[in-house]
Amino acid sequence: MTLRQQIRMNRLRTTELLVVFALLIGALAGALDAVYGLGPAIAVAAVGLAWALFSWFFSASVVAATAGARPVTKAEQPELYRIVENLSIAAGLPATPQVRMVDDPAPNAFAAGRDPKHCFVAVTTGLVQTMDHRELEGVIGHEIAHVQHRDVRLMTLVAVLVGVVAMISDLALRMLFFGGGRRRGGGNANAIVLAIAIVGLVLAPIAAVLIQMAISRRREFLADAGGAEITGDAEGLARALRKLADDPREIRDTSRSTAHLYIEGPLGKASGPRAALANLFTTHPPLEARIAALEQIGGFKLP
Amino acid sequence: MVAVIVVVVVVAALLAVAGLLFNRLVRLRNETEAGWANIDVQLKRRNDLIPNLVETVKGYAAHERELFDEVTKARAAVAATSAPAERAVASDALSGALGRLFAVAEAYPQLRASENFQELQEELTDTEDKIAAARRYYNSVVQTYNTAIQSFPAVLYAGLLGFRAREFFSAEASERATPQASF
Repeated sequence: MTLRQQIRMNRLRTTELLVVFALLIGALAGALDAVYGLGPAIAVAAVGLAWALFSWFFSASVVAATAGARPVTKAEQPELYRIVENLSIAAGLPATPQVRMVDDPAPNAFAAGRDPKHCFVAVTTGLVQTMDHRELEGVIGHEIAHVQHRDVRLMTLVAVLVGVVAMISDLALRMLFFGGGRRRGGGNANAIVLAIAIVGLVLAPIAAVLIQMAISRRREFLADAGGAEITGDAEGLARALRKLADDPREIRDTSRSTAHLYIEGPLGKASGPRAALANLFTTHPPLEARIAALEQIGGFKLP
Repeated sequence: MVAVIVVVVVVAALLAVAGLLFNRLVRLRNETEAGWANIDVQLKRRNDLIPNLVETVKGYAAHERELFDEVTKARAAVAATSAPAERAVASDALSGALGRLFAVAEAYPQLRASENFQELQEELTDTEDKIAAARRYYNSVVQTYNTAIQSFPAVLYAGLLGFRAREFFSAEASERATPQASF
């Protein structure tokens, strides 16, 4: 698959996603109508759509706030800043993405935003401390490739929509618990049960499906290949991935809604129920497979 | 009646395909132009830094006059050229001259200690890196564009519509050679 095809595919997926989302809101409104009447149903749907539009327009800021990524200046991080600038030029992006940092000792990185002109690249403080110049270039190259491939747009949209769906279901449940549902005669038990069933059973899996749609493993392999092409150094990225694989630390405070954005799946290292859940929704292919693919591209062999 | 419909449909389909093919060439050509603008920005930035650099170095190493002349001339040559290949030669010559200037500067501890000089050196190194990055992008989009206009079916009409092959930003003959069209 060529880059151009991948970009086109991402556009198609974005449209699909929006359609699915609109249908979902419609279904929700229908369910609410059954329980509370038409007024509240329209109100909730309108709030949901308004929130979706708002968070899409400010998606970069919303995701940055969720992940705790603060903007850094060139004076603070000259090396990081220059790498982002240079690789944006090498990739032919129309603008240099904003540079942000997450205060976290675990090395990791991600990019988010609605298009190449409104996006940012974020790295953890741990990444800057752990990686040398070449490896840092590899990681940033991978993120810039995501921006170039328009993966970032789709993945950001997913993060936003998952948030909206969570908000609506939360709202619906609150209405249910705090005195809603009485308008159509006290204790229409069947309708309430129905609503709970719809809210609880439909929303959660759909949120998961949305995430999974965005998390194609091929996307990561392509971003690795694209990043290697931008930097001209597949080995740098492969070394960085090896370091990520060897590092036992896991980034704190990643919510499920942003997990798929990171260069290394952030939810895979813990053990216990959380890890089991993470494996069910593995967001990234295993690092060793990615390293092997890079070794093939660059014609080298890591020790 | 049926024949008319068939003709209309076939013509419409041909027009749609022609439009898509044409748009692709336009997009590729725009990419090469944007790529060239990127190089231009960085070359100008480097040229803007040089007078300041020369003045600073003069303050500590006044007798290295030949070197200053070389740098100044190479800078003027970059500003004067416009064709990509020619400009690449001039740009490489300027990089070489700057490299020698920085090598000579090593012999002057006071110069090296100067904050102004350090800043300029850092800026110039950064600009050299950005020129290299912009060159990589430009050459890759030129490669794609040239291959596209020299491949079938575009080769039949690209010339008529004013799509001309672009020069690489490269001093090397191997890169300057036009790529083989692949069918």
